[in-house]
Amino acid sequence: MSAYLISMATYAGFFMILALALNLQWGLTGMVNFGIAGFYALGAYASGLLSAKAGWPLGIAMPAAVLAGFLAGGLVALLSIRLREDFLAIVTLGVGEMIRLIVLNEDQITEGPRGLRIEAQPFHAAVGPENYPLFYLCLVAVFVTITYFICERIRTAPLGRTLRAIREDDVVAGVLGKDVFRHRVQIFAIGGGFMGLAGALYAHYVQNISPDVFLPMVAMFVWMSVIVGGAGNNRGLLIGAGTVIMFLEGTRFIGDAVPRLDAEKMSALRIIIIGLLLIVTIRVRPRGLVPEPKFAFEPTRDAGQPARSTP
Amino acid sequence: MSMQLLVNALVNAALIAPPAMAFSLLFGILRFPNFAIGGYITVGAFAAYTLNVPLGLPLLVASAGSMVITGLVVWLIHILVFKPMHKESAVTLLVVSIAVTLILESVIRIFYSADVRGFDVPLQRPYRIGDMRITKEQIEILVCAVVLAIGLHLLLKHTRIGRAMRAVSDNPMLAAIRGVDAARVTAFTTVLCGAIFGLTGVFAGLDLVIEPLIGWNLTIPIFAAAILGGIGSPYGAIVGALMVGLAEELTILVLPSTYKLGVGFVIIAVLLLVRPQGLFGTAEIKK
Repeated sequence: MSAYLISMATYAGFFMILALALNLQWGLTGMVNFGIAGFYALGAYASGLLSAKAGWPLGIAMPAAVLAGFLAGGLVALLSIRLREDFLAIVTLGVGEMIRLIVLNEDQITEGPRGLRIEAQPFHAAVGPENYPLFYLCLVAVFVTITYFICERIRTAPLGRTLRAIREDDVVAGVLGKDVFRHRVQIFAIGGGFMGLAGALYAHYVQNISPDVFLPMVAMFVWMSVIVGGAGNNRGLLIGAGTVIMFLEGTRFIGDAVPRLDAEKMSALRIIIIGLLLIVTIRVRPRGLVPEPKFAFEPTRDAGQPARSTP
Repeated sequence: MSMQLLVNALVNAALIAPPAMAFSLLFGILRFPNFAIGGYITVGAFAAYTLNVPLGLPLLVASAGSMVITGLVVWLIHILVFKPMHKESAVTLLVVSIAVTLILESVIRIFYSADVRGFDVPLQRPYRIGDMRITKEQIEILVCAVVLAIGLHLLLKHTRIGRAMRAVSDNPMLAAIRGVDAARVTAFTTVLCGAIFGLTGVFAGLDLVIEPLIGWNLTIPIFAAAILGGIGSPYGAIVGALMVGLAEELTILVLPSTYKLGVGFVIIAVLLLVRPQGLFGTAEIKK
C-alpha cells in the first residue's frame, strides 16, 4: 500500500514537471503544444539510449536528455511559431506522433515495441534497493521544486510580464519593442528542456520504456492538469496534476470493490472519469481550480504623490 | 502496380473526403478544430455494427440507422458540451473535443471490448479490370462519396438552409442582422455532419476493420485533407482528400507502412509553413 502511494506520488511528480513546462509555454506565453508526449519520449529515449547503449554515466546522460528536449523545442518553435494557435496545435501533435513513430519503427536502435531496458539508476548503489523507491520520490520532488522555482522566477520577473503581454496580444508586445519571436522560441525551448527532464526521470524510474507509453493521451492528461489547475498559475497546476493523477491512478482501487469489471473496462472507466472531470471543471470554473491572479497595479507610496498621473 | 496504386488512392480519398467536408462545415460554424470527429466516426461504425450483426438488419438499413444515431449523438454532445462553452478559447475547446473522443471511445470499449470486428457481408472476389483489383465495397464507397459530394454541393448552393449555413460561416454577425437563426443553422449543421460521420464509420468498417481506434486513425488524414483544401472550404476538402489519399499510397512505396499515420502530419506541417491558408483558402489575418 505505501509502496503504491510512493509510486503514485512519483508519477504525479513527472506530471507536475510536464504541467509546469506546458504552463510556461501555454499558460504564460500562449503557445500551444500538443506534442508533449513526443518531448517526454525524446527525453526518456535520449537518456535511456545514452546510458544503456552508449554506456554514458547518468551524470552526462540525463543532462543530455534535457538538452535534447531543449534543442527539439527550439527547433519546433523556430519552424512553426508563426502559425495560428489551432494550427500550431495540430503541427505539434504531429511532431509528437512522428517522434513516437520513429521510436517504434527504428527498432535496431530503440528496440521498438519490445521496449528498451535501462539498468542504470541514479545513486542506486549508494542508497540500496530497500529504500530506493522512497529515495527516488525525494529525487523527483527535488526536481519538481527546482522546476517550480525556475518557472515562478520567470513568471514574476520582468520577463514574465513581457511573456504575458505576448500571450494577450503579440502585436502590441511587438510594437512596444519586445522581440516576440525570440521570446517565444526561448520559452518553447526551455519548456522542451523540462519535458526532456521529466522523460529522463521517468526512464530511469521504470527502467523499461516502450513507445506505447508515449501516446498523445499523455499530452491530454497534462493539458487537463493545466486547465483543471488554472492556466498561468504554477501553484494551481501542481494541484491540477495531483488531481488528475489521483483520479487516474487512485481509481484503480475501485477495481477491487467492483469485481465485475476487468482491467480493460476499468481503464476505460478511468478515462471517462478524467474526461468528465475536465468538462465539469470548465463548466463550473472556467479559469481552473486556482485561477491566475489578475495583475494589479500597486501605486508606490512616496510622499502622497501619485505614481503617475492618470487622466 | 501503378494503376492499382491509383485505385487505392481513390478509395482512400473517397473515405476521407465526406468527413473532411463535414469537418470543414463544422469548423466554419464552431471555429475550432474538432477532434471529437474521431469519436463520432467510431460511434457510427459501432452503431452500424450493432444494427447489422447482433440485430441482423441488412447493411443498408444499418447504415441509415447509424447515420440517425450518430447525428443525434453529435447534436446531444453539442448541446451538452460545446454550446455552453462557446465563449472559451479555441484551444480549450480543442482539448475538450479530444476529451470527448476519449470518452466516446472508452464508453464503446466498456460495451464492446477492443476486439476486431467486421460487418456481416458476404466475402466476394474483387473485380478485376486489367491488372487492377477493386472490391464491391470499395466501388460502393466511391459511388456514395461522389453522390454525397454532389448532394452537399446542391444543398449549399441551392437551398435556403444551405445559403444560411454559408452566411453564418462567412460572417455570423452579419447573418444574424439579416435574420438568419444561427442556433437553428448550427443545430442543422451538427446533425448533418453527424450523419456524415456515421456514414464514414460504416465505410471505414467496410474498408478496414471495426475497432474503437477506427475514428482516431482517420482523424489526422481528415484534418490534413481539410487543411490542405483550405479550412472552411468544403470543395477544397475534396481535392485535399485526393492528395492525401495519393500521398499515403505513394509513401508505402518508399517507407514501411507503419509510417502511414505520419504522412498526414507531414503534409499538414509542410503546407501550413508554406501556405497557411491552405491551397484554396483565402488569406486570413492572424489574430
